[in-house]
Amino acid sequence: MSTQTDNQTASAGNRSSGWVIFVFFLIGFVASIISGWVAFPKLLYSTKQQPIDFNHRVHVEQMGGQCDSCHYFRKDGSFAGAPTLEECISCHSYPMSDDPNEMKFIEEYVNQEKEVPWLIYAQQPPCVFFSHAAHVKGADMQCQTCHGDIGSSTSLRQYQENRITGYSRDIWGHSMLRLGEPDHGGRHQKMNDCAECHLKQTGSKGNCFQCHK
Amino acid sequence: MKIDRRCFLSLVVGGAVGTTLTPVPWKLTDDIAIWTQNWPWTPVPEDGPNKYVKSVCTQCPGGCGIVARTIKNRAIKIEGQPDHPVNNGSLCPKAISATQHLYGPSRIQEPMKRAGERGQGKWEKISWDEAIATVSEKLAELRTKGKPHEVACISDTDKGSVAYLLDRFLRAYGSPNFIRTPTSLDAQELSLYLSCGQQGSIGYDLKNADFILSFGCALMDGCDAAGQIMSAYAGFDQKVQLVQIEPRLSDTAGRASKWIAAKPGTEGILALGLGHVIVRENLYNKDFVNNFSAGFEDWQDESGTAHPGYRSMVKDYSPDKVAELTGLSSQAIESLARSFVRARRPIAVSGYNSTGSGSLDQALAIFALNALAGNIRKPGGITFVGEPDYLSWTEMKIDKTASAGNQQPRVDNAGSGSYPHARYLLNQLPRVIKDAKADAPVQALLVAGANPLYTMTDNKAAAEAFDRIPFIVSFSAFMDETAKHADLLLPHPHFLECYQDVPTPAGLPETVIGLSRPVVKTSYDVRHTGDVVIQIAKSFGGFIENAFPWKDYEDFLQKSLSEKWKTLEKKGYWTEATPQDTTWSEAFRTPSGKFEFLPRAKFAGTGSAKGQALVFDNLSLPGDAKELPLILIPYTSARIAHGPVANTPFMTKTVDAGVIRKNDVFVEINPRTAEEYGLSQGDRATLKTPAGQARVRVNLFEGVMPGLVAMPAGLGRTGFSEYIAGKGVNVYSLIPGVEDPGSGLNTAWGARASLAKA
Amino acid sequence: MTQQPQHTKTKRYGMVIDLDKCTGCGACMVACYAENNVPFKQDETDKLLSLNWLRVMKIDNGKQFPETEICYIPMPCMQCDGEHMQGHSPCVSVCPAVATDYDYPTGIVSQIYTRCFGCRYCMAACPYHARKFNWWDPKWPADMKNYLNPDVSARMRGVVEKCSFCFHRYQKARDKAYVEGRKELGEQDYQTACAQACPAGAITFGDLKNPDHQVYRLSRDKNAFRLLERLNTNPKVYYTSTKDWVHRSADNYLEGESPEQVRKARKAAATH
Repeated sequence: MSTQTDNQTASAGNRSSGWVIFVFFLIGFVASIISGWVAFPKLLYSTKQQPIDFNHRVHVEQMGGQCDSCHYFRKDGSFAGAPTLEECISCHSYPMSDDPNEMKFIEEYVNQEKEVPWLIYAQQPPCVFFSHAAHVKGADMQCQTCHGDIGSSTSLRQYQENRITGYSRDIWGHSMLRLGEPDHGGRHQKMNDCAECHLKQTGSKGNCFQCHK
Repeated sequence: MKIDRRCFLSLVVGGAVGTTLTPVPWKLTDDIAIWTQNWPWTPVPEDGPNKYVKSVCTQCPGGCGIVARTIKNRAIKIEGQPDHPVNNGSLCPKAISATQHLYGPSRIQEPMKRAGERGQGKWEKISWDEAIATVSEKLAELRTKGKPHEVACISDTDKGSVAYLLDRFLRAYGSPNFIRTPTSLDAQELSLYLSCGQQGSIGYDLKNADFILSFGCALMDGCDAAGQIMSAYAGFDQKVQLVQIEPRLSDTAGRASKWIAAKPGTEGILALGLGHVIVRENLYNKDFVNNFSAGFEDWQDESGTAHPGYRSMVKDYSPDKVAELTGLSSQAIESLARSFVRARRPIAVSGYNSTGSGSLDQALAIFALNALAGNIRKPGGITFVGEPDYLSWTEMKIDKTASAGNQQPRVDNAGSGSYPHARYLLNQLPRVIKDAKADAPVQALLVAGANPLYTMTDNKAAAEAFDRIPFIVSFSAFMDETAKHADLLLPHPHFLECYQDVPTPAGLPETVIGLSRPVVKTSYDVRHTGDVVIQIAKSFGGFIENAFPWKDYEDFLQKSLSEKWKTLEKKGYWTEATPQDTTWSEAFRTPSGKFEFLPRAKFAGTGSAKGQALVFDNLSLPGDAKELPLILIPYTSARIAHGPVANTPFMTKTVDAGVIRKNDVFVEINPRTAEEYGLSQGDRATLKTPAGQARVRVNLFEGVMPGLVAMPAGLGRTGFSEYIAGKGVNVYSLIPGVEDPGSGLNTAWGARASLAKA
Repeated sequence: MTQQPQHTKTKRYGMVIDLDKCTGCGACMVACYAENNVPFKQDETDKLLSLNWLRVMKIDNGKQFPETEICYIPMPCMQCDGEHMQGHSPCVSVCPAVATDYDYPTGIVSQIYTRCFGCRYCMAACPYHARKFNWWDPKWPADMKNYLNPDVSARMRGVVEKCSFCFHRYQKARDKAYVEGRKELGEQDYQTACAQACPAGAITFGDLKNPDHQVYRLSRDKNAFRLLERLNTNPKVYYTSTKDWVHRSADNYLEGESPEQVRKARKAAATH
């Protein structure tokens, strides 16, 4: 980095020594590592609370142990996703417990006939067509493979939204660099993740139209 | 220790090296790439459970069964109902793109009253209570003056519950002036009434016919029976002969087995020419003609006056003479006559066209061919479908003012001494109003479903007449041409938002009643015309209120349809098995009890010798043939809606580049005509007719007869929205009306015209 | 191009359009636009700027009145297989962004709007003008956004779009089949919007390789032909007509050449 100008304008005794330069290098290096790994994720993702802390375990137990009691396939093959208020009301028109979350649900949503604005962890971009039927019915996959063991959770984890893209953190994957993520069951659903699995399972990454609309 | 620039640089380098080992650059690059693919201004339609609602399209009288795909109170798409007895899944572009009108900018979203000058487009929102009170006050005022008959109503249909409610209201109120807009079937329905004694429509069993002789019918060119005709056409095999008589190579002519380009306006003459050959060669159905028809041979009435029969009448129409008048060869006429009458199940069809209903005599001449073939009330033939009688009514009591008003002559002259058989003659209304010395004979006009200021021929004259009517109420769902010139707007919901019964569509050989029902809930402050009529009636109180004992329109519909309602709710339609009785002995309700070739009812009272036969002097269109040497004919297209409701933007999108460019409409002319007038492809030209003039461009097309100028109908809208208005010219505004002396109907099939390079 | 795996059960979805039956009513076009969220503008008369996934062209035989005949030719994306039937479609091979590819299991050529950056090479490469460019952002005035179909993405300015053979209907049909425990789709399970809408029954759609599907027989009819067949683009849209002049207008012929003769020569060349 030294230049002719340096040599001309500064005498040898005035120059900082090599180790000082190295210390500054280290400071820069460590600071960027820390900010990149600690501060950046906090900046990049905003944290949002779900409108109601939902207890999946209780519901799974009450509803017969199956995910598809609430997250079901419609007759036409489409996947219903999160239940609508109407479906919730079939049980919850009156409180079934004194749980504060249920009380909140009934007061703020059931009584006001308002849909709960659930934050969907695995929401794909609008240009993506994802077939639950192909995976769950066609390939006999378990819900947990992609969504983790959410069925046994007693409360909802935080929803993290990427400030740039607006998508859920679960799409890119929880780990910032994808350096393994045993704690969340490998939830990441970017295009390459789909392609990787498809290549492994079907021998082809698939064509554009398989997932894009 | 000295801290200098080098240290700072080192810090930056260290930071840069460190950053590459963090997710920052990689994640940012990826996220920004994703961000560039986020188009927040592009709509992302909400998904949800799909529901498919069966209903009926009521945008024209065709009565096609539809299935509407909906997601969460959003109507997504209209598709044909595959098992529907009318259209069997076939739909026209207008029905398929109906959601564009449902959500489009043409909708009137709440009741409004005029704020500026008429037609200025300034409106003031009002409440429904105020709107209904305004109508009631105005009508009550006329009634107090003893002039209830000065209220008229123009409707696009005289069948079904809304028309009945409007008519019932007028009768309770005291006006005989319920007027239906003209259709291209008026003359043939009148011919059915006169020659067979049947009030109703002719059913054509196209699905089973093997020879269809179409006298200029726009079968595949956007007629009001597109669904039923297309579904029959889809089933045609190679053996079915479709012969199209038309001076222009229309889409129907293009798909016909044979296109016969007869001069326009000569259809009736050609029909008599065909009759001549059939009679001369003794090819007619002897059983039918000898036993079940009257007026075939010459006959004498009770007073001993001799009347010529059909046989002597067609003697004058030899192939040579007809060939000269129609521009065809006599061999072509002879061979057409033979192949028609020798077919196993031939049908001759009139009406369903772009050029109006034609004259009564023409309809009678064409209808006579069916009689000669004896293909009446048979499979693959024609049937009579009576007026719908499915609505049951409670009798009403009316007061003296009302009965006095009802006994006044109709303002449109229908049913008068001159035109005893016509039921509605809207075409005469502009002249009647214009000729009125003092106040206009119509002081209040209710317009429901119709759009006369667009659809009437010579609509400039109509607009002038409307200007003299002091109070015009429009029930239109859209800001159409007539609504724009109204004083009060009482918007009806879109057909995908409301219940409505759909009577048997004309042309269908069986009775099929449909139920149009709400596919989505409306988000606008609109009310069903049926509801509004009931509310207006109730606001009068007394016997008028008593004549309308229903809570609302739906209540009325359910009670009137009684046991049919359940079937309609469940299936969407109700059918009556086709009568198996194919005998002829009980079929005719004419004075003679037989089919009448030259109906006595028509000629009764018309003492002149000319009145004894069918006359075809309608070749003489108004105007000077020297100054206006060409003839303008309108043509319709399935891609351009020419009725009261305009095109959807999707339909306009499908229109060919050779039909419209920017806002200029192309007229089709034959290259030989173009040469004669020094015109070449794409040239701008001025088209003149006795009714006005227009700037057009010319499109050279070999498929149009030399000497004709063909212009598409359905363009030149001034209402609706900027997506629809301002494109081209309304061809009907260039065509002066021609009154049929036999019926009083408008029989103009074109206009004399000149075309000069602009 | 990377080596694609051999699909054992691949389909070749294609269309056969009976030109003798088509009346040019436009129902197919309108159904297509409604199904696929195709935008519209106030002025659609400049057909080079008009976005449409399906056009119906009108041709005539050039003869004088009254010998004139007309024919309508509905033109969706031809879904070319390319030479040697290996997915080397004209557009796919020129796309620098891999925004369009050949779907091997179905033979349908895709178009991915989020991937496209609007260079329009594909439009130049397509001999059928099947591809259209979004020069403007689409607008849906008043409440017209309400009718948009969630199965198809709305596009934005700067991307190319084209007919997809209603691929979303294929996806939905497969979803339904999965839920019902079926492996194969029936002929009627997957139909394009235009084929479904055609009131004249002129458009037939199905798997060209499946002898049970109508298109199998119709595409092999002696009156069947494709547009610009001699370019070897191998379109999967077939037409049938009994009229020689219609056949002739579907390709370029030298004086003295007849479509019949050329077809025979091509067949002979293909078998060698």
